[in-house]
Amino acid sequence: MPRSMPDAPTLLSAAVKYLEDELMPTLDGYHRFKTRVTVNVLNTIRRELEMRGAQAEAERARLAAILGRDGEVEALSAELSERIRSGAIDLDDPMLRAHLRQSVADALAINNPKWIDR
Amino acid sequence: MSNDDFAVRLQAVVARHLEPPGTLHDLRQLTGGANRTTWSFDAAAGGARHQLILQLGGDTEDPVDRIMPHLEPEQDARVMIAASEIGVPAPKVRAILEPADGLGRGYITERVAGETLGAKIVRDEKFAGARAVMAQQCGEILAAIHRLELPKVPFLMRQDAAAHVAAHRQVTDYYGLRLPALDMALKWSADNAPKNARHTVVHGDFRTGNLIVGEDGIRCVLDWELAQSGDPMQDLGWLCIRTWRFGGRAPVGGFGSREDLYASYERASGYPVDPAHVRFWEAFGNVKWVIDCLRLGARGVEEMGIERCAIGRRIEEPLWDFLNLIEGRD
Repeated sequence: MPRSMPDAPTLLSAAVKYLEDELMPTLDGYHRFKTRVTVNVLNTIRRELEMRGAQAEAERARLAAILGRDGEVEALSAELSERIRSGAIDLDDPMLRAHLRQSVADALAINNPKWIDR
Repeated sequence: MSNDDFAVRLQAVVARHLEPPGTLHDLRQLTGGANRTTWSFDAAAGGARHQLILQLGGDTEDPVDRIMPHLEPEQDARVMIAASEIGVPAPKVRAILEPADGLGRGYITERVAGETLGAKIVRDEKFAGARAVMAQQCGEILAAIHRLELPKVPFLMRQDAAAHVAAHRQVTDYYGLRLPALDMALKWSADNAPKNARHTVVHGDFRTGNLIVGEDGIRCVLDWELAQSGDPMQDLGWLCIRTWRFGGRAPVGGFGSREDLYASYERASGYPVDPAHVRFWEAFGNVKWVIDCLRLGARGVEEMGIERCAIGRRIEEPLWDFLNLIEGRD
């Protein structure tokens, strides 16, 4: 697929830079708060664009190992949910626990990277 | 209703329920609870100036209200009245709105001065003295709330731990979220729900952020709309989840130690506290917060804009804490 330049993460970084460096210092109260949230949301989108592809591929491989079959990551994840819910998989299974920890850690790396360090 | 109409009606409400003339000063809307509109104002009534709060019920019908504990405004006013009567520092109710008042459903309480912002309470030097006593105060206040007589508040939804977990499963299904970590957390919670616990009034949202704090400590407990009848240890566990520490290190609300909370609760209530029992509720409290984030995020764009939507992206924070808690890594 032909890629447009600059890529999406770069555009988002430029938008964030304007909002943080130029706009925010002129604001207070309601609009400062809303702009802060907007900056956070844009940064989340940027991290998702940068990281989700590799994360999904690794997630698919972990799911395939647990379930013993291959497939799309969404379908495999839904099947794991179903097995957990029905009791078909032991909640103490070390592979399951490791997979859940990694999946949650991956999502935090996108949505709130500071949560794990604290 | 225009702002002028609103102020005229509010003045009439004060004159009718408190005393004439009800003249208003400094009426302003506060940012506040998720489902309620909160106004702060002063009013002249009976020769004195009163500091007051008006709470109005939201117009939005939450599709899962009938599954989860949730009170109408006049009901949580009744819980606050019952709590005040036995010495709990709840807001003092001065009026419960009636249809003739023309303002919708809601109530007026006395306004209590102090700080509610969690980040300030857990960090600011001026609250250091308060932080030193707050875990003990929480134990005493919770013991008192759990002594409230259930027949005085017969409208509370009754859910033991298993029923409470099952209700959260239903809400998750309603929103159709399939997330293995959440499914695991809900299954673990169903498998480990405490049995044969005491059954009392439960505040349901007792945490930093819903406490008015002064330099002397806790002055008032707010936000009674999630009050329910259930396992009292739910309130102790909820107070400890990391989200309500607001970046503070101390496990109880960002300000205190579990030992102080439990010892104080035991002294005040006469009931022993089993740390493992509270730990279940702290673990499940994280699951509750996942589902609260899901509900808030799902209603986002029209209702509250971008900050509500962004809450939907916070569900992994409590899931991470949940995994740490059940694996003893906290």
